[in-house]
Amino acid sequence: MSLSDWARNGWLVEHKTSPQEIKDLLGVVVRDLRDCAAKGLSDDWRLAIAYNAALHCATAALAASGYRASRDAHHFRVIQSLSLTLGVDNTLIKQLDAFRKKRNVSDYERAGAVSTAEVEEIAKLAGALRKRLEDWLRQNHPGLLPK
Amino acid sequence: MDTDDSGHTISTALFGKTQRGLLSLFFTRPEESFYLRQIVRTARVGQGAAQRELARWVEAGLLVRTRRGNQVYYQANATSPVFHELRALAVKTTGVADVIREALLGLADRISVAFVHGSVARGTEKAGSDVDLVVVGAVGFGEVVAAVGRTHDTIGREVNPTVYPVREFRAKLRAGHHFVTSLMESPKIYLLGSEHELERLGT
Repeated sequence: MSLSDWARNGWLVEHKTSPQEIKDLLGVVVRDLRDCAAKGLSDDWRLAIAYNAALHCATAALAASGYRASRDAHHFRVIQSLSLTLGVDNTLIKQLDAFRKKRNVSDYERAGAVSTAEVEEIAKLAGALRKRLEDWLRQNHPGLLPK
Repeated sequence: MDTDDSGHTISTALFGKTQRGLLSLFFTRPEESFYLRQIVRTARVGQGAAQRELARWVEAGLLVRTRRGNQVYYQANATSPVFHELRALAVKTTGVADVIREALLGLADRISVAFVHGSVARGTEKAGSDVDLVVVGAVGFGEVVAAVGRTHDTIGREVNPTVYPVREFRAKLRAGHHFVTSLMESPKIYLLGSEHELERLGT
């Protein structure tokens, strides 16, 4: 399967990005990586912020590749698309997807079912993903990076 | 744990391989019905043995057999007088608990205690319910996700883990953290370690 196959399935929509959009998305990633370490926040909330950083890395990679996810199962697709954009392996995608589910569960059903260790794990993962995204952009889409 | 010196679990001591497979399939997923090929594939049992066992279970009223089109379906009989007992037995031994326990065995030396809580432990789970899992030990969330990820096909449910280092679990317990404190009171099915290990974390 390729990104264009996904678009044909209706999972993605073609999208023209710009250096400004990539800059804004990277800005969200940097902000969320900083904010998820803030003292005094609950672990549930910190997990949601760190997850958001990871999600925006995936969104930026997808945008740079000429697509955005359609509304249906949006977060799920964005995360799965990492295998086709940044070449992220299946194990890592499964972990990110498990954090996605955890965020849903903690939002709606089980407040507090998040450990500090889990927050640190997703924050580290999001940080590594950001680095990978920036390297990938430099190599594949240098024109989209801020001058 | 359930194992004794000879390496038997509760389910292997009581039941043969085919019976364990059928008990697990039908009584941990009692809202679903299955046809023979599905049963053979999912429960990993031989076709001949499965057919003989299915006929006996239907005769004893443990399963209901229905024909839809060309296909014959089998389902747990919820009106059997031992339905609830078999269901509890399946979940605690051959079913969800055994499968997840086995999946965690590779990490067992770093796990102090692991248990299922939530609707599966209460026996109130529905067809789409997740299995809520707590793991306390020197393991990461990602490791636990990778280990239990393979169980999905067998148990037909998502596993939703929460993973704590021992120190964090202790600290949250002492601080009266709502979720951790409520875990101590709620029904649990122990997979690794026991109530004893859990109580020691609280002292």
